[in-house]
Amino acid sequence: MRRQTFTVRQSLNWLISFLLLAGFLALFFQYRHRVAAIHPHLNVQLSNLPYYAFCSFYRMLAAYVLSLAFAISYGMAAARNPRNERIMIPAIDIAQSVPVVGFFPAAIYFFVAISGGGRLGVELAAIFLIFTSQAWNLALGVYEAVKTIPADSLEALDSFGVTGWMRLKRLYVPASVPKLVYNSILSWVAGWYFLIACEIIAVGPAHYRLPGLGSFLMEAADKGRTGELIAGLVALLVIIVLMDVLVWQPLSIWAQKFRYEFAASQSAGTTQIYDLLVRLGVNIRRAMRTLVHPITTMFARLARAGAMARLGALLQRIGKPLRIAWLSALVALIIYGLGDGLIALVRTLRQPWPSEARMIPAAAGASFLRLLIAYAISLAWTLPCTLAASDNPRFDRLLAPLAEIAGSMPATALFPVIVLFVIQLTGNMNLASILLILTGMQWYLLFNLLAGARQVPADLKEAARSFGLSRYAGWRKVTVPALSPSLVTGSITAWGGGWNALILSEYFIYRGHHYEVLGLGALLDRATYETGNGTMILLSLLSMVLIVMGLNRLVWRPVYNFATERFRVDY
Amino acid sequence: MALLELKSVSMEFARGKGRLRVLENISVTIEQGQFVAIVGPSGCGKSTMLRIMNGLIQPTSGQVLYEGRQLDGINLECALVFQSFALLPWLSVKANVEMGLEARGVPPAEREARAGIYIDKVGLDGFEEAYPRELSGGMKQRVGFARALAVEPKLLLMDEPFSALDALTAITLREELLDMWQAPDMPVHTMVIVTHIIEEAVELADRVIVMAATPGRIVADLKVDLPRPRDKRTEGFNAFTDRIFSLIEERV
Repeated sequence: MRRQTFTVRQSLNWLISFLLLAGFLALFFQYRHRVAAIHPHLNVQLSNLPYYAFCSFYRMLAAYVLSLAFAISYGMAAARNPRNERIMIPAIDIAQSVPVVGFFPAAIYFFVAISGGGRLGVELAAIFLIFTSQAWNLALGVYEAVKTIPADSLEALDSFGVTGWMRLKRLYVPASVPKLVYNSILSWVAGWYFLIACEIIAVGPAHYRLPGLGSFLMEAADKGRTGELIAGLVALLVIIVLMDVLVWQPLSIWAQKFRYEFAASQSAGTTQIYDLLVRLGVNIRRAMRTLVHPITTMFARLARAGAMARLGALLQRIGKPLRIAWLSALVALIIYGLGDGLIALVRTLRQPWPSEARMIPAAAGASFLRLLIAYAISLAWTLPCTLAASDNPRFDRLLAPLAEIAGSMPATALFPVIVLFVIQLTGNMNLASILLILTGMQWYLLFNLLAGARQVPADLKEAARSFGLSRYAGWRKVTVPALSPSLVTGSITAWGGGWNALILSEYFIYRGHHYEVLGLGALLDRATYETGNGTMILLSLLSMVLIVMGLNRLVWRPVYNFATERFRVDY
Repeated sequence: MALLELKSVSMEFARGKGRLRVLENISVTIEQGQFVAIVGPSGCGKSTMLRIMNGLIQPTSGQVLYEGRQLDGINLECALVFQSFALLPWLSVKANVEMGLEARGVPPAEREARAGIYIDKVGLDGFEEAYPRELSGGMKQRVGFARALAVEPKLLLMDEPFSALDALTAITLREELLDMWQAPDMPVHTMVIVTHIIEEAVELADRVIVMAATPGRIVADLKVDLPRPRDKRTEGFNAFTDRIFSLIEERV
């Protein structure tokens, strides 16, 4: 195996991406002085719950639609052009590893400033944040799907002259459907987590608040209204379950139609709800056709008259200069913005550093230890569960749906509840913060491990049994090595989730008291909500980004390469 | 005038640091109404040559002339039939067959009528709304043929069209292809088939081009003057296949 070396070029790439990211952050950040405080009134009453639920849902929907449009164009651009691919795919890797929650205050500054103040800006910031939690895996899904379209399909379309819009409609989008549906489910889970998170953040001691389920739960917990707290959680659960039954399950069945046959042979079967929706869909389509038909025939007539062809030719002729103009305007804007941002960054950092800055190394160490403990706890229960599920399919069938429901419930919604109980119990944040981080880590590990366990070939396990290996030896020789690539992938995503959770986990306001522990997240939160010290916000956020990117580069990437190379099952 | 002409065509691919020469100095003329077979061992570049004829691949050097004019880009008066069928799994049989017509801007009503005609011709009447995954291999390739014929190409190119089918299905489909080619109402007259099965080439074609590998080159260009319908058990047929076989063998 080739040894992993850290070349000058790689380090340079790494440095540049960090600087770009810091500039991006500072770009948002420089608007903070132009923002005035907003205090919409929050009313914790059951009769208001539907309105709050609606607010949360529409934010999710808006962010998802944006993510979908972004994912399709980004994924296709990366997959179809090797030159784009070299820049766009590593860019997504970096975007995925950034603790997004930390950017929320900066995003609020930015959007409130550019929208002229008011609630619109906070809404935009929340939608932007949810977008950043949904878009990357969708875009990677489209990229992989387009990249793995069989060569003969491409050749067939080429040879029949299928180009442009028709190619998109007939090939690229359908081929992406299975991955889009699968990743949409994951994106919604992540989206709920971040939605609730930004509603909680906004409701904290900061100057902005967003009406929504998250702020409702937070306010209910803060006022000690247990009934409303439970009602809010139930409302959230109902929305999630309804989405699953009415949207995701039927969509998953429908997506089977778009698989290439060699990809998967298992049939998803069908459900009553799916059949019902299909019938409904046929009727809707029939109704649409009678409405739309006159318009399409008119277009068809135009097309035959050659008007469309001439328009197409015209568009093609001006298309390239237009695209170049548009792209260079975009690049100029980004360069201008980043330059501006970097100047703001330097200016902020050149101000005298607050005395708190000296606490950053110790705080980073404490936060890291907290993550390590939460990771160890996650591993301590998910690995035995996975081994048991791997040996016993009945246990797997029992565990999987339970884990799915528990995992799709955004852990952030439980934060107020956890804090409520644990602080009352222990009187401080130490245990609570580790528990909160745990909720952001464990499911990623469990899902990846369970999926990995299902892929361990049955004949390998049979071979181990037939040679008389003990149960323990079977785990050591077969199951754990075969699981290790999934373990590494799960660990990477779990740590990503952990860093995000950190920002919400180390600092909490409850009934007028604020509770905190020594940590990077607490430093960041205090600087944001209490002192408002810009230098401190930037310093703690940048150190966090630096640590996350460094860990990914120096620890996770080599471990991942090793695990996938050494323990891949492909014979 | 020849329908299609390759003039000293060569093709190289980059492989690692070096370059791999796939085709060397190929010159071929395809006349209107001919049924041409290209046979050769694997790796002789016969499939690459077919793709150059269609314009899917640009040769490294040499000229491709279609009806006397230099071909640049994909030739939409050709249609291609694939070994792997290359059907889109999310489209029904009818939609798959209509694909080429849709790309050429044929209006929906005419598209439907023409797809219907060719679906009938290949014997898939009643399967219009089926999806490829519900069909057997032989039926899938019938869709492949219907899709190619529906655009009524001046030149039909076939890349090992029967190689992914079981032997019995292949026999039936070959006979049907010959019947369609000889039918008076068939608008497609000129065909090129690439195959590694020598009997298949001799059974179908007027002319067999024999190729050798590394680098891919033409070693013989034979006229098949056996009377049709051809019987594989006759001495003439066997003598012809033996001749091609020894031509290929002496170069391996």
